[in-house]
Amino acid sequence: MEYLVVSLIFIVFLQTRFMELRRATLCLSVQSALIAAACLAVGLSHGGGLHGWLPGLLTIAVKVVFIPYAILKVVHQLRDEREIVSDINVNYSTAVAACSLALGYMVIDGLLPMAAGRDIMAASMFMIMTGLTLIVMRSRAIMQMIGLITMENGIYLLGLIMTEGLPLIIELGIFLDVLIAVVILVILTSRLRLSFKTTDTNVLDKLKG
Amino acid sequence: MEMFLIAAACLAAGVLTMLFPHGWQKAAHWLANGLALAGSAAAAYGAAAQLMGQKLHPLVWGAYSLACDGWSAIFLLLTGIAGVIASLYAMGYARSYEGNRLRVLGGMWNLFLLSMVLVLLAGDGFSFLLFWEIMAVASFMLVNHESEQRSTRDAAYQYLVMTSVGTAFIMIAFLLTGSASNSFSFADMARNNLQGVWQHAVFGCAFVGFALKAGLVPLHVWLPKAHPAAPSHVSALMSGVMLKIALYGFGRFVFSFLPTWNYWWCVIVMVTGVLSAFLGVLYAQMETDIKRVLAYSSVENMGVIFAAFGCGMLLKVTAGGHWYMLGFVAALAHAFNHSVMKVLMFMSAGSIMHGTGSKNLELFGGLARSMPYTALFSFIGCLALAAAPLTNGFVGEWLVLQSFITLAGSNSAQNIRLWSALCFILLGFTGALALGCFVRFFGITFLGRARSQLTEHAHEADGFMLTAMGLSSLLVLACGVYPLPVLQAVCAALQLPTDYALQGWGLAWAGSGAQAVFNPALLLLLLTVVGGALYLATAGVCQRQSVTWNCGTYPTERQQYSATGFSKPVRRAFDYLLKPKRQVSYMRKDHAYFGRQLSYKLEIPDMITEKLYQPLQKHFVRVSAFLRRLQQGSVRLYVSYVMAAMVIVLIWGALYK
Repeated sequence: MEYLVVSLIFIVFLQTRFMELRRATLCLSVQSALIAAACLAVGLSHGGGLHGWLPGLLTIAVKVVFIPYAILKVVHQLRDEREIVSDINVNYSTAVAACSLALGYMVIDGLLPMAAGRDIMAASMFMIMTGLTLIVMRSRAIMQMIGLITMENGIYLLGLIMTEGLPLIIELGIFLDVLIAVVILVILTSRLRLSFKTTDTNVLDKLKG
Repeated sequence: MEMFLIAAACLAAGVLTMLFPHGWQKAAHWLANGLALAGSAAAAYGAAAQLMGQKLHPLVWGAYSLACDGWSAIFLLLTGIAGVIASLYAMGYARSYEGNRLRVLGGMWNLFLLSMVLVLLAGDGFSFLLFWEIMAVASFMLVNHESEQRSTRDAAYQYLVMTSVGTAFIMIAFLLTGSASNSFSFADMARNNLQGVWQHAVFGCAFVGFALKAGLVPLHVWLPKAHPAAPSHVSALMSGVMLKIALYGFGRFVFSFLPTWNYWWCVIVMVTGVLSAFLGVLYAQMETDIKRVLAYSSVENMGVIFAAFGCGMLLKVTAGGHWYMLGFVAALAHAFNHSVMKVLMFMSAGSIMHGTGSKNLELFGGLARSMPYTALFSFIGCLALAAAPLTNGFVGEWLVLQSFITLAGSNSAQNIRLWSALCFILLGFTGALALGCFVRFFGITFLGRARSQLTEHAHEADGFMLTAMGLSSLLVLACGVYPLPVLQAVCAALQLPTDYALQGWGLAWAGSGAQAVFNPALLLLLLTVVGGALYLATAGVCQRQSVTWNCGTYPTERQQYSATGFSKPVRRAFDYLLKPKRQVSYMRKDHAYFGRQLSYKLEIPDMITEKLYQPLQKHFVRVSAFLRRLQQGSVRLYVSYVMAAMVIVLIWGALYK
């Protein structure tokens, strides 16, 4: 489990470094695969069965395969595949990510001292904060979607560790939610491209009343 | 309660006439006003029955209830009477809105009446606030009826903003009282356990909220704008009834929910009232728009009513004995009488507007020839508003002044002699200015010669309007000559013995140590005798009529007093308060004495608006500009706010677990 946590933190740091959409999406896929592995590990350690492996398999199906595939399909339609318009340097987002890792440990130690899964909880806090950071600091719609999925992965991991497995119906509901959110976001991104010739969300500022 | 249910059913049915198809708008008009008339009559009948001693059982549905006690019955009576008269007037007057959302006007008229009846019947805080808000919305829709004009829209939206602020204060007062009681029903709220500073808070919020609706200075700014913008029968009802409902709500709080009164509360109510009365009439004197004159006169009269109310409170706090109630009797009697006469005067203003198509005082003159009946009824209304004897305006003012004399003379109130003397002087002043104001109103409008072409085509109002005005003039005179029924109703409302402050035909008051008597019947007799004697004495004297001497030339209509000119002495005297902005410039000046043409512009800025509201408004705009910087329209910025909030909450939670 410790290796899993370390590689997760590493991959999320890497996520903040990518400016090219295709690589960022692939990185997201790897990150989701690590979450799926954690999910399967927790599920199997609690005795397996349908409830043990179904969430893990669903994670793989939805987050590792379908979502990156859908995002990549949109990316193929785009001509400018790099986030070059971002006015805030990539290094800032990495620095914020580092701060949020420290914050995650601080919060977990403060709120749940002596908790069993301290590292993994801190890592999930870190993922939530980093996902938000990506949404705030990136201006391209695709990158913001990636931030959203990162945040969602963090919340899912936190829920997994805190509750040691949610009821199956709720897990299914969560997956359906993510799926629908991504479908809508992909459609909106395509519309954005059609209307404004770009997926830069800064153009949406014009919508202010 | 059955009568009130019938009234509510009639008015609710009247609201539904709004849904009639377009082709039936005439039918909708007649039906709506007919139902409004029937509903108001039923409400008045029910209220009169209550005041005559009939016991009414409250209707309760769970936490909500409708109830009618003496304090609400007197206001229901006033609403009913004004509703009947104004609906009758609307039958004629509203016809001129045909093709101009006539159905909406009729429906909203009923909704307005319905909401006012239900506010007065509400037996718990929630229903009160609900109907209070419906009343505000209905009156907003009515004020905004001629929404094609920009000034109307501005006035309506200003009214909406102000009344929402007032409701917010009232809501706070209700919530504070209700949270210290078992439930929000008025019976439970009367047994609240409010302590210390919370009592002050409840009183402050209630006073601000209701004073705003009553149009007391400095919260009156919406009133002189909303009244001219609304159709005349609507202004009549707003001024005649809606402002009084603010008094009802304030009285409900003061009598029921606040068992002990602070000395300073009473002083605040009294002084605010007196200042409103004085400033209101001063601005009324300056206006040249007839409906604005009447609107400011409403500010004045609400001021007088609240001054009397505050005087009653002060008498109760400082002096023993049972005669403290005189202040409340005066306030209620004047509220009732003012309602009748203000409805009459707004109807007159409506008839003048209907006949001439203008509401600018400077353009009238000599209207008594083309509109004799309107002139007669307006004369009676002006007399009443100027508080002339033999009209009901005098009855109220007499009681108000008596209550102030009582306050000054009460033994235990040494420290408030100064207050009462000051207030007495200011009220006397108010009376004098009101007299000047309505002499100007009537004289400029109906007497003299025509000042413009408008009056040449002036025509008399139709039968419905004249009947309504005649009815209310009759009521004004009847209540002035024989004030007993009104005072009996007021005493019943306040649960006082019936022989309190009155005797047979007249009013008598012994509270101030000496006997004070006002007997209108005796006065009428005296006037008849003296008038008859004078008539007989001068009957045989030779009379010769000729043109006024004018240095050898015939006087022209341009040489009459204009409305602005008539109020000049007052403007000069109160220069420091009014701060008029004059601009005189010569357009042509051929010779020092002849062939001159000059333009004269006069503007009287509302002091309160300039000194209080505009700085406040600027401040708000500045704060909003700052807030606008927070709200740039960038989604990422909003997400970062969420993130910042989350981080702060997490850190806070981690540090102060």
